Amino acid sequence: MFLGLWEAGHYLTPASARKFFPSIGEVGSALYVLFAERNFLQDVSVSCWRIFISFMAASAIAVPIGILMGSFGNIRALFNPTLTAWRYLPAASFIPLLLVWFGPTDQAKIALLFIGVIFFLISLVLDNTTAIQKEFVEAGLTMGASRRTILTGIVVPAALPAIFDSMRNMIAVSWTYLVIAEIVGAQDGIGAVMMRAGRFLNVDVIMAGIVTIGALGLLTDLIFRGICRALFPWNVERRS
Amino acid sequence: MNIVAKDFTPVTTVPPLKASRISKEYLGGTFKALDDVSFELQENQITAFVGPSGCGKTTMLRIIAGLEYPTRGRLEVFGKNVQGPGPDRGMIFQAYTSFPWLTAMQNVEYGMKILKVPAAERRERTMNFLKLVHLEKFADSYPRSLSGGMKQRVALARTLAQNPAIILMDEPFGALDAQVRWEMQELMIELIEREKKTVVAITHDIEEAIYLADRIIFFSRQPGRIKADIPLTFKGGRRIKQKEELLELPGYAELERQLFAMMREEIK
Repeated sequence: MFLGLWEAGHYLTPASARKFFPSIGEVGSALYVLFAERNFLQDVSVSCWRIFISFMAASAIAVPIGILMGSFGNIRALFNPTLTAWRYLPAASFIPLLLVWFGPTDQAKIALLFIGVIFFLISLVLDNTTAIQKEFVEAGLTMGASRRTILTGIVVPAALPAIFDSMRNMIAVSWTYLVIAEIVGAQDGIGAVMMRAGRFLNVDVIMAGIVTIGALGLLTDLIFRGICRALFPWNVERRS
Repeated sequence: MNIVAKDFTPVTTVPPLKASRISKEYLGGTFKALDDVSFELQENQITAFVGPSGCGKTTMLRIIAGLEYPTRGRLEVFGKNVQGPGPDRGMIFQAYTSFPWLTAMQNVEYGMKILKVPAAERRERTMNFLKLVHLEKFADSYPRSLSGGMKQRVALARTLAQNPAIILMDEPFGALDAQVRWEMQELMIELIEREKKTVVAITHDIEEAIYLADRIIFFSRQPGRIKADIPLTFKGGRRIKQKEELLELPGYAELERQLFAMMREEIK
């Protein structure tokens, strides 16, 4: 459907402007050239690496904090004002600061992705944690479970599938920030390649970049779903 | 094991639960969910809490469970003051609380794990209780693939396996359809009889209360007080396993009529 519209759009564009709206075939060959001759794989892996590192770091901090905030009112009261304030700050506004601090380095990009994801992820995990069925916790209490057992044995397993869903959604946001980060002062990465192509009006290359990101996004999503199925067999819908 | 006898004090019957002058107020005392409620439970008796919605019966049950605290009053389990929840009072909820991330077997084991029951004994008791609730074939199934009645049976087995002194039930069969409901009622009578438990069950269903209970405590609302405390003497001190037998007993219809009349009085 989408591909059909795309192809139609290409042929409906006046011939003089078709350069700015390449066909699927042209984008395909641009992709081939990128991978075969310009070492695009290197850029792709650099981008993936940045996403991976920043997202792992953000999750490693956001998930425990979110769960603790969701479980204990006093911890929530302690963190919430800070969290709310940070969430309203657009991550992109940190770009100048990060460039001054780190220069056009990998650290600057990873830090931006980290900032872009962590505060939202904390509040999502917080919601996931408070949304668990309260009778699970009460059942634990009446069985004589300690607070610690209730946290690790009941709250965490009950909330984890929803938390993984939140992570899956946030990694998509991560890709958005990646392109922003790489457009501003980067030598490598998918965003940098697209930005350079833009300077020479190579629309086919820009679109090739977009297609690549789309494909990678899809792949991440599939991986996440696979992990969820493996980790939470009890949560898998039985097909009948 | 009898501590009372060891102390050479005369053996008196200490009730499994004694509630003394329990009050629960909300909104700074403007709303009285419970007002000066006192009662004692007798060992191995099933007591049903009956009453209109908002009469405080759920609040009372949750106070016994330790999930809520009374504004005033005192609660004793076998003569010992209790505050907060504990495994001496097992609870079965209306919502399905068998943990979905554990298999039926792991669910039944869970309570015993908390009590640090040795693994071998735990396994044995688990299989035993799964058999009692007719779920031995589903030991390795996750709750997701079980029906509502089966999930409640897992919860029942989990609670019984912990061997609590008192079992509290908050409309445990409320979410089940009619046929499964009476199957569960009969199973419950059988298990309680076998395990010799003191039970408090909340129900909206008058018929269910008469069938299950040895005694009915009827709550009135706003403020929540005990309106009537009715021993079900017409059963002649035994529990009737089959429901149709109950309907034939003289006194059944009269009691049911009386309870419906009380309910109507409250709703007005």
